[in-house]
Amino acid sequence: MTRGDGTRRNWVRLDNASNIFLAARSDSDPKVFRISAEMDHDVDPVLLQQALDATYDRYPLYHAVLRRGVFWYYLQDSDLRPRVTGDRQHTCAPIYQADRRNLLFRVMHHRQRIILEIFHALSDGTGALWFLTDLVTAYVSLRHPEQPSTQGESGAGSDAHADRGQLDARTPAGEGAEPTHGLVADSFAHYFRRRRRHEAPASEPDFSTGPGPAAPGSGVVGGRARFARGIPRRIGRFFHLPERKVYRVRGTRTPDNRTRAVELTMPAHDVLNLARAAEVPLTMFLTALFFESIRASAGDLGKARTLSASAPVNLRQFFPSTSPRNFFATVRVDHTYGEGADDVGSIGRQLDAQFSPKVSPEALEKTLRQFIRLEGLFVLRVIPRPLKDVILRLVNWGNNRGLSIAVSNLGRVSLPDSVDEHVGRMSFHVSAARPQICVMSHAGVLTISFTSPCVETDHIKEFARLLTDRGVAVTVAAARVTEEELAEAAL
Amino acid sequence: MRRCDACAVDIEGAWVRCPLCGTAVAGEATPSPLPSIPLTFSRRRVVRVLFFTSLAVILASFAAQLLFSHELTGLGMIRSVWLGLSAMWLVVLMAVRKRRNLAKSTVYLVVIVGLICVYWDYLSGWPGWSVTYAIPILCASSIVALLITVRLMRIETSEHVVYSVLTVLLGLAPIGFLAFGWVTNALPSIICGGLSLIVLALLQLVGGRTVRHELGKRLHV
Ligand SMILES: [Zn+2]
Repeated sequence: MTRGDGTRRNWVRLDNASNIFLAARSDSDPKVFRISAEMDHDVDPVLLQQALDATYDRYPLYHAVLRRGVFWYYLQDSDLRPRVTGDRQHTCAPIYQADRRNLLFRVMHHRQRIILEIFHALSDGTGALWFLTDLVTAYVSLRHPEQPSTQGESGAGSDAHADRGQLDARTPAGEGAEPTHGLVADSFAHYFRRRRRHEAPASEPDFSTGPGPAAPGSGVVGGRARFARGIPRRIGRFFHLPERKVYRVRGTRTPDNRTRAVELTMPAHDVLNLARAAEVPLTMFLTALFFESIRASAGDLGKARTLSASAPVNLRQFFPSTSPRNFFATVRVDHTYGEGADDVGSIGRQLDAQFSPKVSPEALEKTLRQFIRLEGLFVLRVIPRPLKDVILRLVNWGNNRGLSIAVSNLGRVSLPDSVDEHVGRMSFHVSAARPQICVMSHAGVLTISFTSPCVETDHIKEFARLLTDRGVAVTVAAARVTEEELAEAAL
Repeated sequence: MRRCDACAVDIEGAWVRCPLCGTAVAGEATPSPLPSIPLTFSRRRVVRVLFFTSLAVILASFAAQLLFSHELTGLGMIRSVWLGLSAMWLVVLMAVRKRRNLAKSTVYLVVIVGLICVYWDYLSGWPGWSVTYAIPILCASSIVALLITVRLMRIETSEHVVYSVLTVLLGLAPIGFLAFGWVTNALPSIICGGLSLIVLALLQLVGGRTVRHELGKRLHV
């Protein structure tokens, strides 16, 4: 296909952040995530296909297929066209399969939902959200041709990132970036490989901040990943074992390796008020609640009294980039029970005290530069890819040992005005190697999605009860995973 | 929408029991935003099928070994290899099956490996190596191994005691071999029997009550 038609395909090397997704994927965690938007009507597949065709043309990155080189993986341009399908596979089903040249994303619909699933090596949560926003916008303008076009109205701050999502597909990331071959360069290289200093552009956040209070670095977590960009530090910890034993949740694997997904939907302002009352930014408040629910469902933590969480941070807010490719860093926070105040508020404040300094542009830049330097080492560059996979898998394994849960917050999403009124709740799932929550809010509705490789829901029960005890109205939507649950549905 | 009163949550979809806590739920069912996707496979079922197929194949191959006459030269090597492979696979299957209970899997292992050795011995014209060497050594070393692992892994006495006693009792069998005069060398049987007696006495001392309690619990009708 590549050589046969005589054209030379454009390609771009996969950065290491994305490489680790390839090395770390497993049967139960294929490194896929899903973002969906709920419309005010059952989705029309024909219109959705038209909208997809139009949006797809504007995102060269999404045309890419993944190829394996001797030393690196590559994204390579393709002529494939995506087809809209029903939601026929379980959430976050595997997308990339070695030796199969297929697109690295899929668009589906189920009842009122428009669903986008992406292999994480292609893009991060923020990048995917741009694509979904454009897709939904195109869909709404096809369905409501009488409404003024979204492109026409501007000025509203909320439109800014949606426009950028389109724009970035047409223009290369950053001005001085290398020639892009139609595929967008990776922003890590752009910012951290060269000795180029950047003032912290706190004035111009690229992506809407989370619904948390305005504390710096509070709700700003975007993108998603459980793997540190700060890998050197992690390697360090890998060799000098962590001082405290970290609690890890165990359970029964789902029968066919599918991700167990449970969505809790609630009014956003209720939870925000709780977080404000505790004087903790939303993401860290939810992390504290999550710790508490894990502790409660474990019954007894035993010797492993430390719970730790990883949270991805969207780097675009500090280092402006319009690249839809992976551009995030992961920050780790922990709490040890039985060493002081263990109420949710105190835990949250303590977590935030760890989190905030780590997400300052200076701290992030320092870690990322170290990492990029490591990535650039000649010795590491010439290691063949299969061996790199093994090394990265080991690093990932070491990482996993130090983590109990993961928390990922895409924040409050704003869509273009004319689209906004047609979209209700939006939700976000990831395939998970450990219990994880993905948070997203839209239209005043906060959706907290729990995903896990195990069937147990005890920690979700505790989490829901922590919220309902505090007066929050919670609605549960769960996907069936066990034989018994599916048999019940078939009745 | 359905509602779980225990969790105080509303539930989307036609759940009969709360997906979080399992309490029966009431109310009008609403469609779920997440479709019910049939299982592509069930890991538990796959493992079960694999287990029973392997077991059937192994037992059939053991039975087939009977048909080969002892005199056929040249077949001895292939037979040994095949028997060895099937025996190994059988032991692995049993170990996987019983992996959560260490003492229990030790008993299974000793019994299975012991029986395989006797069968093998019989097939090769009964030179008697299985009762003279294989079984006493197997029993004695599994007793020692059990003592060490129980100690190192700090397994609660009540967890392992019944099967530990069984292992030790199996260790007494070589004394019987000795008595019946089946063995060509008495030493392995004597060592194994002696070790079993000592451990049995020890167990009686430290865990006698636990053993009786556990036995009472498990044999309760
Ligand atoms: Zn319930």
